[in-house]
Amino acid sequence: MATVREKGYTHWDGKLGERRFPWWPIARTGILLAFRKKRFKFIFAGAFIPSIVFLVGLYISERLEDFKAIIQGSDRLLNIDPKYFATYLASDWLLFLIVLVLAYGAGGLIADDLKHNSLQLYFSRPLGKKDYLAGKMSVVAFFVLILTALPGLLLIVFKLVFAGSFKFFLQYPWLPLSVLGYSALLTVFFAFYVLLLSALSKNSRYVFILIFGAYIFSNVLFGILHEIFETPYMALFSVPANLQQAGAFVFGQKLPHAFPAVWSFAVLAGICGLSAVVLNRKIRSVEVIK
Amino acid sequence: MTGANAVRQVFGFFSFLGRKTGKTRVFAILGLIPVALAVIVRIVLHGRGGLMAAVFTEILMVFFLQFYIVILALFYGTSVTAEEIENRTLTYLITRPIPKPAIILGKSAAYAVLMFAMVGVSLALSYFIMNAARLSDPDLYGTFFRYLGVLGLGILAYTAFFTFLGAVLKRAIIVGMIFGFGWENVIQYFPGSTQKLSIVHYLKSLLPYHPPSVGGGGGRGVALLLFRLEPTTPLAAILILAAVTAGLLALACWLFRVKEYLYED
Amino acid sequence: MTAVIAASHLSKWYGNVLGLNDVSLEIEEGITGLLGPNGAGKSTFMKLITGQMKPAIGSVTVRGRKAWNDPDVYQGIGFCPEQDVFYEDVTGWEFVTGLLRFYGYSRTEIRERAARALDVVDLTADKDRLIRGYSRGMRQRVKFAQTIAHDPDILILDEPLSGLDPLGKRKLIKLIKDFKKQGRTVLVSSHVLPEIEALTSRVVLIHQGKILAQGDIPFIRELIEAHPHQISVRSSDPRALAARFVGDRSIHKMTFGADGRTLVVETHKRDAFFSRLTGVVIEAGIAVEEISSPDDNLQAVFEYLVGK
Repeated sequence: MATVREKGYTHWDGKLGERRFPWWPIARTGILLAFRKKRFKFIFAGAFIPSIVFLVGLYISERLEDFKAIIQGSDRLLNIDPKYFATYLASDWLLFLIVLVLAYGAGGLIADDLKHNSLQLYFSRPLGKKDYLAGKMSVVAFFVLILTALPGLLLIVFKLVFAGSFKFFLQYPWLPLSVLGYSALLTVFFAFYVLLLSALSKNSRYVFILIFGAYIFSNVLFGILHEIFETPYMALFSVPANLQQAGAFVFGQKLPHAFPAVWSFAVLAGICGLSAVVLNRKIRSVEVIK
Repeated sequence: MTGANAVRQVFGFFSFLGRKTGKTRVFAILGLIPVALAVIVRIVLHGRGGLMAAVFTEILMVFFLQFYIVILALFYGTSVTAEEIENRTLTYLITRPIPKPAIILGKSAAYAVLMFAMVGVSLALSYFIMNAARLSDPDLYGTFFRYLGVLGLGILAYTAFFTFLGAVLKRAIIVGMIFGFGWENVIQYFPGSTQKLSIVHYLKSLLPYHPPSVGGGGGRGVALLLFRLEPTTPLAAILILAAVTAGLLALACWLFRVKEYLYED
Repeated sequence: MTAVIAASHLSKWYGNVLGLNDVSLEIEEGITGLLGPNGAGKSTFMKLITGQMKPAIGSVTVRGRKAWNDPDVYQGIGFCPEQDVFYEDVTGWEFVTGLLRFYGYSRTEIRERAARALDVVDLTADKDRLIRGYSRGMRQRVKFAQTIAHDPDILILDEPLSGLDPLGKRKLIKLIKDFKKQGRTVLVSSHVLPEIEALTSRVVLIHQGKILAQGDIPFIRELIEAHPHQISVRSSDPRALAARFVGDRSIHKMTFGADGRTLVVETHKRDAFFSRLTGVVIEAGIAVEEISSPDDNLQAVFEYLVGK
């Protein structure tokens, strides 16, 4: 009887390549699939509106004399300091737009895999759970960083360009680190948040509602509880409030809610932890049907 | 099969299916949150009966009116057609001897009843827990049924709107989200007749109290719920909500009848 | 015989893509196979017959009635879709009984019909399991059960045998043939040629939205005069046989089989060849073991027609 070798196929005896990034094809495909959705490009482009508004604000601040006639009494808005950047990155609008982009573009990251039973296809390759999740999280990271870190750093650069000097940077040398740090915080949080909700259903329409609904509901709950109990700690129930509290801390600003920022970090970390537990249970190569 | 009988059979089928899905359980659990809040508030504000009633009626109603029924109707309303197309089960329905409009009417009715049950249980539990000290007061029950009626009309109107959206658009959920949590939340505060372009305006007009400026009373929370409301008369509000519901459902039925729904490959 | 299903100049576009191209066709009682590769237009045609889509041009009728927006037509039609999709949170029993509600039957009748249909497809033991937990073959069978539960006299089956094991396929083929004996009309599509051949000799060949041919397989074969017929003769002395036919101008080609006992002849005049073969065999005293037409099957017919 012929040996396996003679039949034309053998096991690979060599080592697998050193420079392996199994998560990269998953990340790349996820990003491309998001852009293939019809309205996504429009929504994604719209998410840059806050950065353009703030860029215009930067420009006006350097040309204050020229615009004084138009913006009488509004120079408070045009103080370019770390608060300006904190206002941009932690604004309700930007956070809402990030949630919208992620809900539409990344909501199906795991939901679609569950729907089409694709997990078996992934895990029949030399790919572990960590690689799979890293790939999926990279998709979220791409969108969040492009909407936060990229415009945030560019705003600093444009400030220096419009001012024509490095004075601003010398005044606030830690600002780029704050921008990067807060962007990283948003990236990590939203990665866990979106993937948690995406793993809860095979229906991407339902996941869209979950992502939005949980975000909005947390704020509604905060409003109700605040009215009832009249304590700022109720802000801990609100996802945007926690993100804004953390953002104010990272930029060294006055906290919007009267409690230590460490509580907000704890809540955000708790959501990430819950997500990790759920993802670990849900991401399996074999579906168990009871 | 006659139209009415077909609607009844579709209603029965989707009432059964709707009760079985995991999503219904999630939405029902969401409805228990006001109940939990009611228990917590009752413990915290024990002995301050008047304040408790004000807290419930004016604050928790914000949750019901501007979040819970909207999110329920958004999901279930768009599901009437979107679910069948996404799951490719539309084939099983349109190859049966039932008129196509019966599918829209029967399914949206089934989901409306399901939503009403979830909202009704949540409202009843939270309301009567909050007002447990006043159970012998007959006015309490009148107010309760009025709230229930308002939420019921809201469910019908929003479901009809989102059913229509689902029949017209492929990605109705986004437009629905923008309408439900964008347009409705913003337009209702516009002065003059502009606020009449929102469904929630008519629902708020039916609530059993009015802002002090029109001779009504209410706790501090009334300001939250009825901020800038220029109420329409109750009869007009009911008629308009009924017309909106009937009109949008009729449009949805017509669209569903004439449109082809192709599955995405 | 009056046509049960009649299509007249039927065309359907999907945007710029032509799904069906000027199809005129009549389908009579009995089993008709609709054969074509993936993307040929089989499912499009079936969706137009069953009123799931509206014709862009032309018309299609079922017993003289257009199916689009005429729900009464469905009382007599059972459709088995190609897609493996269900209402997943239900059992097989709930699925079949649920869909039977739309026919106006009483509860007792619904239960009886569902039990009968599930029994026919051998799913009685698993009827109370969730469809999500069914194997591929079981899912296909429950789909077939919902197709037949209301006793339709017209069955439109889109790839009904996909996902079934060989035993399951045999059972279903027998079932479909039984339907024919009951006087029903069955239109069954497939891209797997042996499946169609096992079911019926009456086929409609479809390719790129066009009907290539319609009729019995041998009849279709006869139409293709441009291509020679192949006849295989297995005998004790194939070379002696070949020698007798070398001078015959109606024969284009002769090849010998690898077994050394087979002679394969290509000729335009099949009947004339058979007549001569009888005489030659007797005259030469050659023992003929088997005569067959290797290309008198659907595969060969189809390949000729699409020019492969």
